[in-house]
Amino acid sequence: MKIIKAIYNFIVGDMVILVGVTLAVIILALINNVSALAPLKGFSGPFLVIAVLSSLVATLSREAFSSRS
Amino acid sequence: MQWVVATASFFASAVEFVEAFTIVLVVGVTVNWRSSLLGALAAAATLALLVATLGTALVQWVPIDALRLVIGILLLLFGLKWLKNAILRYSGLKARHDEEAIYEETQAALRARGKVDTSSSRFDLFGFLLSYKSVLLEGLEVAFIVITFGVSAATSTVSRSSGIASAALGALLAGLLVILVGAIVRVPLAKVPENTLKFIVGIMLTTFGTFWTGEGFGVNWPLADVFLLILAAIYLGAAFLLITWLKRVKARAIDNQPVPTTQTQEVKP
Repeated sequence: MKIIKAIYNFIVGDMVILVGVTLAVIILALINNVSALAPLKGFSGPFLVIAVLSSLVATLSREAFSSRS
Repeated sequence: MQWVVATASFFASAVEFVEAFTIVLVVGVTVNWRSSLLGALAAAATLALLVATLGTALVQWVPIDALRLVIGILLLLFGLKWLKNAILRYSGLKARHDEEAIYEETQAALRARGKVDTSSSRFDLFGFLLSYKSVLLEGLEVAFIVITFGVSAATSTVSRSSGIASAALGALLAGLLVILVGAIVRVPLAKVPENTLKFIVGIMLTTFGTFWTGEGFGVNWPLADVFLLILAAIYLGAAFLLITWLKRVKARAIDNQPVPTTQTQEVKP
């Protein structure tokens, strides 16, 4: 458990970023592998950028509002 | 000598070398040069081993898209973490619980007890891995360029090995040029304030991470590698907007704080 925590802290150390990036990767993997979602392939790039920015905004909001309270 | 192949390889490799060298450079300036250069050397050794073992079969055996994806995701995670911390420091929110200040305090306390030697050249695993991953990925891309350009140049009159030698020469010249320019740029870069550098590193890692993750998923970015600059501009703009917003949040929080009532106590002698 300690090793997993050490790796987590070393790589990211922020649950919001980790969840945001993981969700984006899962959705991109689905778009790439599920044939029904193939028409969305063209939006993969913009989606990834939006997902990254959303993760950043979410984690900063959490920091800002938790430090206020 | 195939000059057309050598020139094409020079330009294509130069782009990859610039990408790798940029990360080695910022890791060197922000973490330390020892970890950065060790990472770059370890990656070069891994690459040499791969090329020596697999030769031209490298193109078939190394899953470059999977590698881009894994390294891209890791860089995204590293980059967002750095960018978040740099934005928080710029907006004044990080000072409340700055782990760097805590680290410095701990180091100072340990130093006072004579327990550690905190020279700037201590090995840093984060810096080492960051440098290693970037150089390995970009180095592999250069190897791919050399092999594919060299092999495709082979005709009935030109041998395959001659084509690869020309492409390798172009790549080697590009590598030397990038290292030379980097060595010149290194000195002024060291004078930039630390948080500014960390902010730039955060932007860059996030940019490269997004780019490579996208490529790993088969995204064809418009304008190819030039899109890295557009991505960096997008993240830079977003970061400045976030800093402005967080500064307002902080100012509002200060305004809303209740004014402490002064209590005078009678001091008896």
